[in-house]
Amino acid sequence: MTQVQLRAVRKEFGSFVALEHIDLNIASGELVALLGPSGCGKTTTLRMISGLDNPTDGEILFDGKDVSDVPVRDRNVGMVFQRYALFPHMNVEKNITFGLRVRNIPAEEVEARLEEILDIVQLTQFRHRFPAQLSGGQMQRVAIARTLITKPSVLMMDEPLANLDTNLRGEMRRFIRDLQQRFNITTIFVTHDQVEAMELSDRVAVLFDGRLEQFDTPDAIYHRPDKISVAKFMGASNIFQGTIGDGVVKAGFADLAVTGTQQFDAGEQVDVMVRSEAIRLLKQPQDGAANQVEGEIRTSDFFGATVSYTVQVGDHQLNVDEHSTEKLDPGSRVFLQLPGDRIWLFPKRAN
Amino acid sequence: MARKATNTFTHLSPFQRFYLIAVAGLIVGPFIPLIIQSLAFRWAWPNLLPTVWWMEQRERSPIPLAWDYVLSPYSRVYEATFNTMVIGLAVTVICLAICLPAARVLARESFRGKSSFEFFLSLPLIVPEAAIGIALLMIFINLGLAGSYFGIIIAHLIPTIPYMVRMLTAVYQGLGREFEEQAMILGATRWQILRMVTLPMLMPGVVAGALFTFLVSSNIFLLTFFLGQGKIITLPTLLFSKISGGTLDASAAGITLIVSLPGIILLIISERFIKEEAFGKGFGN
Repeated sequence: MTQVQLRAVRKEFGSFVALEHIDLNIASGELVALLGPSGCGKTTTLRMISGLDNPTDGEILFDGKDVSDVPVRDRNVGMVFQRYALFPHMNVEKNITFGLRVRNIPAEEVEARLEEILDIVQLTQFRHRFPAQLSGGQMQRVAIARTLITKPSVLMMDEPLANLDTNLRGEMRRFIRDLQQRFNITTIFVTHDQVEAMELSDRVAVLFDGRLEQFDTPDAIYHRPDKISVAKFMGASNIFQGTIGDGVVKAGFADLAVTGTQQFDAGEQVDVMVRSEAIRLLKQPQDGAANQVEGEIRTSDFFGATVSYTVQVGDHQLNVDEHSTEKLDPGSRVFLQLPGDRIWLFPKRAN
Repeated sequence: MARKATNTFTHLSPFQRFYLIAVAGLIVGPFIPLIIQSLAFRWAWPNLLPTVWWMEQRERSPIPLAWDYVLSPYSRVYEATFNTMVIGLAVTVICLAICLPAARVLARESFRGKSSFEFFLSLPLIVPEAAIGIALLMIFINLGLAGSYFGIIIAHLIPTIPYMVRMLTAVYQGLGREFEEQAMILGATRWQILRMVTLPMLMPGVVAGALFTFLVSSNIFLLTFFLGQGKIITLPTLLFSKISGGTLDASAAGITLIVSLPGIILLIISERFIKEEAFGKGFGN
């Protein structure tokens, strides 16, 4: 149970600024995702918390104490590397007990803790195997066990699900969640996958170009993004230009009634975002429905549970995701409803 | 995993069989007359086999003949073998101690002038050994190192270091940083990381490099000849003194066979080691 704080952390590699003024407060026992495209500085953040790299400026605190001068081996953190970094010349047992053996813990205690952890990660029958004889999921469980056996105060994982195939990912996700709750350990993981970040974490920190863009719950990040960049990164969206009117935003194809126009000046240019799954698609118009527009289906892609359509409305194309109970063909006339409480407005900025 | 070797050659085409026999003949061939010669007392052209064997003359001769001579103290074979081993081991150990840290830097760090450094590293392999030997001899005479073990060991490091650095650099490049970082996070000290993680993972490369260095060192003639000044003889210099007359008698043939023994033994050891290493690591990868 450790609280992790980053205060005004900055990291430079030569003239390249990897991280700029990062402030992050991670509560004790929380599971946090560092989300961002590759090169955004998320792995650097992880490495600095672990002590493998040191910040150029700013401080890192564990439970309020600055750990900048604490060397890696005394920081008592755990790290699961993306490619697991299992020692290939040691079997499962030797790999898992490594952290105890280097600390000269008595053999009986090592054995007892090994048995316990092998049982938790369900690897007892593989204990004498070498890493090359294990599957990806088994290797990851060895890597997690090797870390948890040392009882770290913070657990870190670099792209924990990236190297697993689709079927295993779901299983591993539940496994990581269970373990995290069972050990009640502050956990930070890095991912470039929005879905993974939202599914697994209590809170998501979105990083772009070394800047922390938003740090909030998955729900807020997805539905109430602070910035258009975050909104774009979090998945399929429709983004278009608009001008603020009286309680409405004037998009090129229609005037849309939107809640929350009051924070903008009349006539101000804004970016408008509406998620593709928020739009309702109807074959017949509904009388008196707000924000209803008519359009024609251009493309339709079947994804099993959903169908993705692009719909031509005036000179705009809108993406719409619908349940696949009925698949409409390109050329069909349809009516779209854009719910006013699910349309998001962002002030025009350089980004 | 490994394909089962079949016991016969029947599945091979005549060409493949000829090829195998030719290769085997070229490798083993030269040893056959050498072995016969080492057992001969009189063997002259055009006889296919010696007319008089060593065993027939053994009792009558007042001086030790052939293998009796080779294995007697007069031949100085024991002394030369001992020197070759001591020098070879020392060169191998020192070479490893220099090249391991050097290879780590070359594999992982980038620095100004790295590519020219790498070029100059192979210079000792380009410059003729005789030139290095003469230059070193002049310096070492002044330093009082000529004719000493120390002088020969330093000389042997010159042609062995380039090979070793290259070999270990390649091995280090294959070893990602994350293993050492993981060990560090798990609480290991620098020494523990080296002993428990880095060295075992580098082992195949280290063993191959060490065997190679030892072999090169135990085969160096010219540098040893110059710098040993006749005070320190090794197997190659001993052999040269026996065959420099232009004839190869039974005892010289025997010494030649002994000189080739270390290489054969090391080759067998390395084959063994590499197989066990592959087995220990399990399947695949």
